[in-house]
Parts: sequence; C-alpha cells; structure tokens
Amino acid sequence: MRKTLERVGLALLNIFFIVICFVVIIPILYAFSVSLNASNSILGSDFSFIPKQFTLNNYRAVFVDQPVLLWLGNTLILAVSSVAVSLFAAIPAAYSLSRFRFAGRTKIVNTMTMLYSFPAILSMFAIYKLLSPMGLINTRLGLVIVYIGTMAVFGVLNLKGYFDSVPAEIEEAAKIDGANAGQTVAWILLPLAKPAVIVTGVMVLIYVWNEYIYAITFMTGADHYTLAAGLYSLQATEMSGSWPVFAAASIVVSLPILVIFFLTQKHMTSGLTAGGVKG
Amino acid sequence: MKSNKYKVHGTLRSWLCLLPSFIIIGLIVVFPIVYTGYISLTNMNIYHWFDFTVIGLENYMKALTVFDGGFLQALALTVLWTAVNMLFQLVIAFVMASLLNTPRLRLRRLYKTVLMFPWAMPGYVSILLWKNGMFNSQFGLLNQWLDRLGMEPVQWLAGDTVAFVACLVVNLWLALPFMIMIMDGAMQSIDRSYYESALLDGAGWFRRSISLTIPAIRPIIAPAVIITVFTTFKQFDVIYLLTQQVGAKTGANIHTVLTYAYENAFVTSNYGYSSAISIFIFVLLIVFTMVTNLRKGGRKHAENP
Repeated sequence: MRKTLERVGLALLNIFFIVICFVVIIPILYAFSVSLNASNSILGSDFSFIPKQFTLNNYRAVFVDQPVLLWLGNTLILAVSSVAVSLFAAIPAAYSLSRFRFAGRTKIVNTMTMLYSFPAILSMFAIYKLLSPMGLINTRLGLVIVYIGTMAVFGVLNLKGYFDSVPAEIEEAAKIDGANAGQTVAWILLPLAKPAVIVTGVMVLIYVWNEYIYAITFMTGADHYTLAAGLYSLQATEMSGSWPVFAAASIVVSLPILVIFFLTQKHMTSGLTAGGVKG
Repeated sequence: MKSNKYKVHGTLRSWLCLLPSFIIIGLIVVFPIVYTGYISLTNMNIYHWFDFTVIGLENYMKALTVFDGGFLQALALTVLWTAVNMLFQLVIAFVMASLLNTPRLRLRRLYKTVLMFPWAMPGYVSILLWKNGMFNSQFGLLNQWLDRLGMEPVQWLAGDTVAFVACLVVNLWLALPFMIMIMDGAMQSIDRSYYESALLDGAGWFRRSISLTIPAIRPIIAPAVIITVFTTFKQFDVIYLLTQQVGAKTGANIHTVLTYAYENAFVTSNYGYSSAISIFIFVLLIVFTMVTNLRKGGRKHAENP
C-alpha cells in the first residue's frame, strides 16, 4: 500500500516537472518554431509549436540580408582582446593579493569590493565625455577600453578568491626545488586554478558577447555594431515585419553562448562561488 | 637587516604585480566615477555641453525634494522591485530545490539541465524574445492564447502595474535557475541521516523544511542571496528592454534607479542631474556593502569566539 502511494507520488512529481520544464522553455521554443515556419501563420490562430511548413529561409535572411558575419567579426575582435588583456592584468594582481603580505593589502581588497558594487552604466556618461575628445567614440578601441575596465575588478576578485582556496604549501615545495615566482604561477598555481581562470575568461567573453547598451550608445552605423547591438537594432526598427527573422537571429546569436555555458557549467559553481562574486 | 631587505623587495614585487590592474582600474573605473562626481556639481546639459558652470549641490537638492516622477519615486519602486523579487525567488527556488531532491527521482539531471536554459541564454536575447514573442500585443503568444479563449487582447507593457508584473515574471524567469542551483547544491550537502531520523519521528515535509532544511542551508546560501539582492537592485536590462527602449517606449512609467539615471543622461540630457543620481546610488551601494560585510564579520566572530 505504502509503495503504491509512493509510486503515485513520484509519477505526479514527474508530470509536474515535465510541465514546468515545458512552460519554462516556451519563450525559446516559440522563437525557435517561428524561425523555422514557412507559412506565415503567426498572425492566425492556428499556431502550433511544430512548424507546419518547414523552412530555413529566415536563417538564410539572417546571413544574407543582414551583416551578421560582420557583427560576429566585430564581436570576436572585441571579445578576444578583452579576455586577453583582462587575464593578463588580473592574474598577477590576484596572485599578489592572495600570496604576498604587504602594507595596504587589506585596504586594496576592500576598495575593490566597493568598486565591484558600482554598476558600470552609472559612469557611462562620464566615460562618453572623456572618450569623445580623444576620438574614441564609435571605435572598437573605445569599446575595448570600456569592457576591460568594466570586468577588471571582477577578474581580480574572482581569481583572488580562488587562489586563496588553493593551499600555498604546494608552491612552497616548488620554490624549495628552485622554481622562481613566475614558474611557480605558470606550472603550479594556474593548472590548479584552471576552473577559475576558465570561468573568469568565459565571464569576460560572455559579458562582451551580451553587452548591448554601451555598444548602441557609443557606436553609430551598422558596420560598427557588435552582434548584441545588431540584434537590438533588428528588433527596434522593424517591429512586426521581421519577427521570424529576428527570432532566427536570436537563435543564431544564442547558440555559441549555450554551447559555452553547458561546456563550462561543471566549472561554473566552483569557479564562481569561491570568489564570492557573480559577473 | 636581511629580512628588512626581503620585505622591501617583497613589497616592490607585490606592487609591480598589481600595476597593470591598477592602471586599468584607476583610469577606466575610478577616474570616471570621480569625474561623474564633478559633473554632478555642474549644470552640464544639452545647452551647456562645454560652457557649464559649477552650481554646487543644486542637483542633489532636486533629487531629494521632487517625488513625483523623480529620483525618490524611482528609488521607492526599486526597493519594492527588489523585495518582491527576492520573496518570490527564495520561496519558489526553495520549493523547486526540495522537489528536485526527492529520493528516487530518476530524471533529476534532465530536469535540472532544462531548467538551466533561462540562465544559459544571453539575458538580453531572452528579454527581447519575451518582449517580441510573448508580450507583443498583436502576434505575441499570450494574446494569441487569449484570442483563442475568446478574450480581448491585453497591452502587456503599457500600464504601470501590468508592466511591473510582466517585468517581474521575466526577471524571475531569468534569475530562478541560479537560485535553484544554489539551494539544490546546499541541500545536497545535508547529511541524509538527519532526514531519516526526522522521518522516523513522523515529521512532515513542512516540519522538516522549517526545523531541518532551512537552518542547514541558510549559512551556505547566504552569500549567493546577498549577491542576488545587489544584482536585483541594480537590474537594468529587464525594465529598460521591455518598457523603456529609446525610441520604442511602451507607455509604462516604471523606472528603477538605473534606468532613471540612464534616461536622464542619454534621453533628456540632464547630465549634471543624472550624475548626481549616479553618485547617490553609488553611496547607497557602498553603505549596503559595508553593512553586509559588517554583519558577515560579526557572525564569523560570534561563531568562533
């Protein structure tokens, strides 16, 4: 009797989760199905989640009619340079704050924690006003500068938090064996802290990939857009007409991020929570 | 003598390692904040782009005295927004995580993976899909369903209250996966034997949650909850993209402090006033940070006297 009751309970719970899972992904599922649907029945009431007439025309339109590949190129240039500079600056700083004891160390960490709470959007106008006489508005360099600055504090704090959790004894042993500080970091600490380095790099990459407000405010002209700014412009200018194309473009832009997310998900928890900050 | 030399050498090395980050943070983060502080004391706006003058604390006075459609109203709405969001997030995430931890739930991993999707998607894309796919008054899915039920279409993003609820739903959709995952991880760290003895004592789900699960997961989830309070307070994308897009406003007059600051800088061009608000928000956030750090320190102290 008790066993049957338990089985019924489990069955009900499974039904509950199947329904919830379906409801949760409806917005994505709907966009996906619209992007593949040939019969423009979106205005009719006979809509179903499985396209009645399958087509890839909306995807063709994304790549042919819109400069998506150009936007992708812009995004990749910005993302790669931001990730490279961020890690280059953050790793030694985090190492120094985690391993060395010197006057002012605690003050620096506290100040950084304060700065981390500052939303980048609030100093956007000041940055605009500062970059504009230097001719850096509407340039990639200007955006890279903004992105590096925005993620700089996060990078240092996140890596420092993780370095703190790696025991220093292993490094001491390497030092006794004659390794210098640079070698210790490169061969001992970084392999041990791989999840944090990967997560920090991925967070910068995802940030640049998803950042739209600086991109649309600082950049003019579709040639300069990133993917995010481009997608934003697609929905804002042609509201009703291009909804299927917009849906297709959304799927295209999201796919790489989905892949990266599920590939790095294993590291996400440990790489993020140790630092105590979320990007 | 030797140790002193080592110390100087060590300090120099520490600062050299910090130098690249310091240059970046100093020039791109700190200096613009200081400059924002300076602009907040001037009358800089669209008519005074170059020939602005220092007017003292006038902008701050304006921010603190005007309520209707002003900064204080946006601040009140942001506090409400944060409170409602946190309440729903904590309750829903707790229930979902508890259910996911039901023993012998075989498809647990599959459900978790699907439930992670809203977190994995780029946030702004999801918000735009909600706006164009779900809430659009003509071809949005919600109005299609209403139509099928023979009901009138609803302008989901036009009225203040309905738009607030729409923004709330989208924000919960975006934020719940993270909270569920944190709670789920915390619950898995609880020793199963506690539950077995609680079951033997005849404690029901509610009783077990109150006396066992919640006290056990509280210290583990606390940092994540504090971080989420901050990100919810600083939420910009949901409200901006759903209702306040430049050139495509939906008519709802809801602003969080961040969308309000952005609107005053880049739409109505009150640069001085917007900068004063930015400084206000920054000070508020610093106070929050100090209070939460103080409490954290105090708790640590209490635990290890």
